[in-house]
Amino acid sequence: MNNKFDALKDDDSGDHDQDQGSPKDGEKEKTEDEEKEQNVSKKKMVVPGAGEHPLQYNYTFWYSRRTPGRPASTQSYEQNIKQIGSFASVEQFWRFYSHMIRPGDLTGHSDFHLFKEGIKPMWEDDANKMGGKWIIRLRKGLASRCWENLILAMLGEQFMVGEEICGAVVSVRFQEDIISIWNKTASDQATTARIRDTLRRVLNLPPNTIMEYKTHTDSIKYSLGRLPRPGEC
Amino acid sequence: MICSVLFYVFYPLSRYWFNRSPAATRENHHSNGTSVWDGSAVPAQSQTTLSAPVGAKTEMEKRIKEPNSEKGENMEQVSNLQYSETNVEFGPKMTKLEEEELEIKNATCQERVEDPQQTDWEPKLGSQLGRLLLQDYIPKTILPVQEAITSPSLEESAAPSDRRLQQTASTGEKQKDSFLVPGIAKNSQLSFGFASPNTATHPVGVECEQPYLHIPARPVITQVMQHPPLLFNHRYCHFPLSTFEAPLPVEWRVWQEVVTNVPTSKPDIQTFPSVSASLDFTVMSYNILADDLLQTNPDLYAHCPQEVLDWNYRCMRILLEIQKWAPNILCLQEVQENHFYEHLHPVLSLWGYNCVYKRRTGTKTDGCATCYHISCFSEVAVSSLEFYRPETKLLDRHNVAIVLLLRPVVGGSNAKALGPLLCVVNTHLLFNPRRGDVKLAQLAILLAEMDGVVQSHKARGVDCNLILCGDFNAVPYMPLYQLITTGRLYYQGLPAERISGQEAQSYGTSCHRLLAPLWPSSLGISASCQYTTVPKRLTNQNSLKTGKCCYSPDFLLQMRFSPAACVRPVDLMLIPGVTDIIPDPSKDIPANYNERHTLHHQLGLESVYSHFLPGSGNPKVTTLHSKGGATVDYIFYSPRRSFTTGQGGSPGFMREGLKLTGSLSLLSEEVLWSLNGLPNVTMPSDHLSLLAKFQMDLNIA
Repeated sequence: MNNKFDALKDDDSGDHDQDQGSPKDGEKEKTEDEEKEQNVSKKKMVVPGAGEHPLQYNYTFWYSRRTPGRPASTQSYEQNIKQIGSFASVEQFWRFYSHMIRPGDLTGHSDFHLFKEGIKPMWEDDANKMGGKWIIRLRKGLASRCWENLILAMLGEQFMVGEEICGAVVSVRFQEDIISIWNKTASDQATTARIRDTLRRVLNLPPNTIMEYKTHTDSIKYSLGRLPRPGEC
Repeated sequence: MICSVLFYVFYPLSRYWFNRSPAATRENHHSNGTSVWDGSAVPAQSQTTLSAPVGAKTEMEKRIKEPNSEKGENMEQVSNLQYSETNVEFGPKMTKLEEEELEIKNATCQERVEDPQQTDWEPKLGSQLGRLLLQDYIPKTILPVQEAITSPSLEESAAPSDRRLQQTASTGEKQKDSFLVPGIAKNSQLSFGFASPNTATHPVGVECEQPYLHIPARPVITQVMQHPPLLFNHRYCHFPLSTFEAPLPVEWRVWQEVVTNVPTSKPDIQTFPSVSASLDFTVMSYNILADDLLQTNPDLYAHCPQEVLDWNYRCMRILLEIQKWAPNILCLQEVQENHFYEHLHPVLSLWGYNCVYKRRTGTKTDGCATCYHISCFSEVAVSSLEFYRPETKLLDRHNVAIVLLLRPVVGGSNAKALGPLLCVVNTHLLFNPRRGDVKLAQLAILLAEMDGVVQSHKARGVDCNLILCGDFNAVPYMPLYQLITTGRLYYQGLPAERISGQEAQSYGTSCHRLLAPLWPSSLGISASCQYTTVPKRLTNQNSLKTGKCCYSPDFLLQMRFSPAACVRPVDLMLIPGVTDIIPDPSKDIPANYNERHTLHHQLGLESVYSHFLPGSGNPKVTTLHSKGGATVDYIFYSPRRSFTTGQGGSPGFMREGLKLTGSLSLLSEEVLWSLNGLPNVTMPSDHLSLLAKFQMDLNIA
């Protein structure tokens, strides 16, 4: 697996740019990279316990937080993201989820990521590099419920798009919270439309909710500062 | 013996009406002279109808000729309105029978064009009839009536089983009057008057001493006259527009096309070249009033002449109405079991329908029947739902539903590929206006079943379009209706009487309010109207066919605090403030707490009909009896949704669902009273039939 971390951002979830307009550090550190790969190989696949309800895929929880006070540009996304744990059954999921804080109660600039096991919550992961994400911005107070609905739908295979789903992210920001769901193939419009449709249903969104689809290649371009973001200039 | 007694009873009446009728007839003849003018004026008035004025005019001219060419009798000779009406209404129906058969053979869904040159239809009719009758399928009532039409000289030959109709047949034309008691005769005049636009402006010939009328006829008619869209009898807009037909039995009910301004056909083609075909089909929902229920509630029909309440007569009219509109899918309610098997099913199967019947549980003898035309659909799966659940106290009422999953038949063979399916749901919910809680629970079961069907097919990548129709015993915009159309209902504290809204004034003494949860979790249905325990049937399908582990959110939530889920994972990294939560079922308020007082579903249903008449703003009604009228019947459907995708890349389009292309208009309560209420001589039930036309994309690769 050839992970290119050279374009990593500290923020890959929802493009919450209010607090960080600057291009991120483009350097990757070899040591980190290697460390990561070791982690991956070290990890053993989880399996459902006896009598538990197996999930279609194994998933991994991640948590990331930008250290307060330090400029974004000096922080590596890799440094800030932590793997919480992996699970293979419904019961195992609840085991993790019940011991974690609700996203609405998180403070600061933090994210929860829930990705299929083996897919890193990064644009550059092989599973993600051709992909994109639906982004929904939420006013404060809605994140916990929406996040729960979103991941329950994802774990329960409610999106009906085969293997297209990669994972989901909830990003807690100062003014708003953002949830997003990532899929593999940004160019597959039938899939992205179906995901959007399902999102609307499972999140019980009001009809006027704005949903934005963004390809990761666009995210990379904008974040590197090569192009201004739409509406930015 | 009986016959002659009846004859002498009715004969004076008939003379009375016979003497009256020339006046009305003259009026009508007079109006014939102005018919073209009337017709030409109409298109200017009618904004709601879509047919080209030219088309309407030619149709009208045809119609004017029709009595002469078809009857071979001078219109002026027909001093008997009933006679001409009978001809016009019944005759062409019978000729259509033959075409119906042809149509079945050809396996086409389209209506055929009748041959307007056909002048000798009476003999043909006779032979047609003979053929039908040989099969012993037709209810006996049709026999004498048709004989009366075809051969008035067949005096003593009619089946003696039906006294009234036999009399009609036995003495020919004159006795047509005696067959119709005053109330009916008046109706006939009325309906004839409105049957053709030429006479539409002269209903003033009708007097209103009718004792059965609850609302005086004259003022109502005057009022109706002020509504041009109603006046214009647009029966010829019945699709296809070129079809030549005789006047409808269903007066004033006009076919209305839906105007669409959907701009995006091009992108669809670009994005989905596989969308190569679509299927047009019609759905009729019709509560036909079970005879047993009619007999047990005579007070509701006290305004009706006994003749129109006779089941044999009503059955004939019901069949005629079905035949008239030839729906591809037919959903009937209040179908009495013996009548279904003895009268309806034989004829319907002869016409090419496959039928599913489900009788109500308990002691009631009626039930629902869903029929589909085999030229258009094939059956994928069928299930009947019983809302009586002895283990759940709330669900102690004997109502049922039929869930039928159909696959469009395309090009003579089933589109086995990935073509979308059609799920047709037919139900008759509890009537009791005070038991809104029961109705909601019944509806929830139904929605859960629909959700199960949709989800199980979506899991296999097959779209499933939805039709939900029937008699819901709930009026528009009230809570039950809200739940269906908005997908959401906050019910906590609502009075049970308000759920259906049938009787706005009825509550007062008892004030039973709804409290969450409405039903115990043992029912297996969540507040989101989904099965919490996926039915075994579906589980098996899923695991066998796709090997997928699909779980509804509600199912997942059930395991939230299962013992296995409360143990801290050994490998869970401790991050203060993030992963140091201790699960506490009592303290942990589910994120969906507010949802617990809310019922919701995700089927995205819309009603075919709006519920107020354009212009006047009067409410439309689908049912009417002596205690009043209301809309309680509906056809809901999953509407076509087109959406754009891919903001980042090139814009794309995707669509699913049904496109509504037309519907048969409803009437206001006043208009129905002016027709003598329901049932009346042309409308054989205390409900109106609902009819809608849809277009469904067939994604044939």
